[in-house]
Amino acid sequence: MRRAYIPKGLTRQPWGVLLPLLLLVFFGGAVLYSAAGGHFQPWALMHVARFFVFLVMAMVIARIPQDWFRRAALPLYGILCVLLVLVELIGGIGGGSQRWLNLGFMTLQPSELMKPGIVLVLSWFYSVLPTGETRTWRAIAPAIGLLGFPAAFVMLQPDLGTALAICFGGVVVMFLAGLPLRWFLGAGGAGAVIAPLAFFFALHDYQRKRVLVFMDPESDPLGSGYHITQSKIAIGSGGFLGKGFGNGSQSHLDYLPEAHTDFVFATMAEEWGMLGGLFVLLVFGLIMRWGLKVAMNAPDRFSRLLAAGMTATIFFYACINMMMVMGLAPVVGIPLPFLSHGGSSMMTNMICIGTIMAVDRWSRRGSTGLS
Amino acid sequence: MNQLTASAAIATGRVQLASVRQRLLVTAKVRVLVVAVGFVFLTLTALVRLTQLGLFEQAPDRRSLAEALLPPRGEITDRNGVPLARAFPSYSLWFNPKALGEGGNPLVKTPEEVARALVQIFPDADYKDLVERLKSGRGSYLRKRVLPEEANKVFALGEPALEFPRENQRYYPQGSLAANVLGYVDEEGKGHVGMEQVLEPRLLDPAQRGTPVALSIDSRAQGALEDELLRGMQESNAKGAAGIVLDVDSGEVVALASLPSFNPNRSDRAFNDLVFNRVSNQVYELGSTFKPITIAAAIDAGVVTDLSVRYPAAPLHIAGRTIHDSHNFGASLNVPEALIHSSNIVTAQVADKLGGPLLKQTMMALHMNQRPTIELPARGFPLWPRGENKAGDWSRITTMTVSYGHGIAVTPLHLACAYAALVNGGIWRPATLFKVDPAHIPAGTRVFKASTSARIRQLLRMIVADGTGRKADASGFRVGGKTGSAEKPGNGGYRKTSLVATFAAAFPMDKPRYVVIAMLDEPQGTAATSGQRTAAWNAAPIVGRVVPRIGPLLGVVPDASRDVDISDLSPLIGNGEGE
Repeated sequence: MRRAYIPKGLTRQPWGVLLPLLLLVFFGGAVLYSAAGGHFQPWALMHVARFFVFLVMAMVIARIPQDWFRRAALPLYGILCVLLVLVELIGGIGGGSQRWLNLGFMTLQPSELMKPGIVLVLSWFYSVLPTGETRTWRAIAPAIGLLGFPAAFVMLQPDLGTALAICFGGVVVMFLAGLPLRWFLGAGGAGAVIAPLAFFFALHDYQRKRVLVFMDPESDPLGSGYHITQSKIAIGSGGFLGKGFGNGSQSHLDYLPEAHTDFVFATMAEEWGMLGGLFVLLVFGLIMRWGLKVAMNAPDRFSRLLAAGMTATIFFYACINMMMVMGLAPVVGIPLPFLSHGGSSMMTNMICIGTIMAVDRWSRRGSTGLS
Repeated sequence: MNQLTASAAIATGRVQLASVRQRLLVTAKVRVLVVAVGFVFLTLTALVRLTQLGLFEQAPDRRSLAEALLPPRGEITDRNGVPLARAFPSYSLWFNPKALGEGGNPLVKTPEEVARALVQIFPDADYKDLVERLKSGRGSYLRKRVLPEEANKVFALGEPALEFPRENQRYYPQGSLAANVLGYVDEEGKGHVGMEQVLEPRLLDPAQRGTPVALSIDSRAQGALEDELLRGMQESNAKGAAGIVLDVDSGEVVALASLPSFNPNRSDRAFNDLVFNRVSNQVYELGSTFKPITIAAAIDAGVVTDLSVRYPAAPLHIAGRTIHDSHNFGASLNVPEALIHSSNIVTAQVADKLGGPLLKQTMMALHMNQRPTIELPARGFPLWPRGENKAGDWSRITTMTVSYGHGIAVTPLHLACAYAALVNGGIWRPATLFKVDPAHIPAGTRVFKASTSARIRQLLRMIVADGTGRKADASGFRVGGKTGSAEKPGNGGYRKTSLVATFAAAFPMDKPRYVVIAMLDEPQGTAATSGQRTAAWNAAPIVGRVVPRIGPLLGVVPDASRDVDISDLSPLIGNGEGE
């Protein structure tokens, strides 16, 4: 009926995901506004502004033809790997680890970009791999190489959280590509053996401490367990309805560390209570559902793997962050998508969203019989 | 044929390829589902956890900063804000044998060395006891109330097993001052005996404990009273003493002392037999101090209208008993003389004329038949004459003995309230340990006419000026009062040598402000009391020394040019001694 009067460019957009996303970002802006003590500066305004900038970027990505994606996959991956090495060589110092590359006009975190990058390159790899080969070593050896190189470099930075995120995205793509199940089970078993060894020999002291504290946060409530303890206090004191907008004492009185970045969920939960938490979970659920639906309906292997991998990457962010904040996972520096203040993370997530939107577009083209 | 086989093989291969594709597609879809299920599962976990945290995680015990700054137990001050009981967070010395981990030696050095070092820091500590505790391997307090500098010294010993938990202690800066009023706080933080017990809910209430509770006590007057009572008690070798200073117009207890007393700071020491309050809890036959009450009742009732009327002073035989005086004061006495010499015989005759019902009514109006009205938890119940018939009416002999303070036992506090009513214009008010706002003084009940009260003021002043109370006559303070020396009841009658010597006084008599009562329990005749046991020699001098000390502090200036006018009564009296 009225649809005819609305420009096609608008109706074509996946509003089912964009609307919840907008709500989530504005909600995040409100939380950051409160966390700054009732000011738009320095976080809230920037947060919302960045979202819109990256939304435009995502829409541009969404219009890129599949062909370009396929062709760009390997070169992009190569560039990112070079940047990762560059970070090691000339990276600036930040937060005890070297992750940033100062480009003059912005600080670039190549490891962030590697998250969608690894999904892209692995999706490409499995799409060019002959279907009959998926159960042979040829299906896994190159993939492990593609995955292992950046993961190892990010570990070196050292940034356990991002390394895990890269691995997770890659492994999900490999899993969806149809590699034999026993490989994953075998890898899982091997991981169970290696994990304790890695814990004692590969992890840094502070990382080891975080894991130990995760096991028993009360053992050191003022030291390494401080993050988790304060975060649980913040969420717990919010109760069902929360303390109300602008009334969170945990964040305002600086009990809560990183109240505007990694622990923004706790900041939110203190003021908005369980209802706020449920809202955030609901929006993430909608985004996940949309992403997986796009993957299911994808016209071909490449796009299916791409969409699912991107969805998994966003999911990993959200899931690990919330688990960490609620004391279900060790403290790793992973921000909460669309709520945490931070440009790199917002960019990564919007790249993921844009890519899924692109896949959505290809599949609709496919259904109209164009391809 | 071959071709056919080949094409069939190709076809089969194609079919196979197609079936592989088909299978892969299915696998892919299944795996997307598996991933989706994994996501859902993790989301559900987060959801459950969120619910758990949001609904069941207890928010930490939030104490506002203001509350944290409040004392853990409210302070008690005297009427001028001088602290009497304070909250005192202090260190304790605790032996924790597990400080160095389970097993092994709990101490770095030997227990003997550590104990020796501790004795050097705390010279009064018991070396043997310390060694025993350190060897026992069980956690225990080595000491309570450790000063910070002492704690530092102990810390310097380098023994992790010696810990300093911070604990809230009750501290009484004035030591044993007003101990019977305050009471004490035990190890568990529970108040006992005095106002600590009475005020417990208020002292612990977070909403109220920030403001100190002001008692009616004036610590300076309290100190003077305790000091003089102790001196009087020692000089007369008495086994106990009691004293009270009462504001006659408001009922405020300005000082209240019971000796021997205790130091509430040392609640760890056993002082159960010392916490007994003789002022509010012990009832005594207070003897002659009751005579002014009887005379007042008679004047009030119009039984005594002419003070010059003389009564025969020969021993009185009533109901098979004989009423004596301590000395023979001649053939007859008038009422002023009877009071000055403290004549039982004349007082008994006046009471007889007044009649049992009226005397009883006066005593009841003075609340002599119930526990004293005060906040303290321990209040003695008077021994009230039950009366000889069913209605409880007093017989002649009961009326007569009560008239001079026998056959009725009340607390010194009862007497203080009665004397306040005698001199303040006739109004009885309950005694209180709380500071009373001058705008909210209780109305009280009228017991005597104002004219009666004026007459009694003259008579009491005459007793001090010319009678048994002369040793209480602090110059310029216009003291008036009455002695009372009652034999304590013993096995089979009264004991001649066990006395309760009381002096009930008020000052200044031209406009009474305070009642002062001093009482000695079983005073002995000593050199300091000229070998006498009676109140004129031991209790009256106490009042005579207390009044000049507390008068100026309480706003009564000594003034030799002022006094209550007794010129109309002076011609009525001769001179004499009596009790």
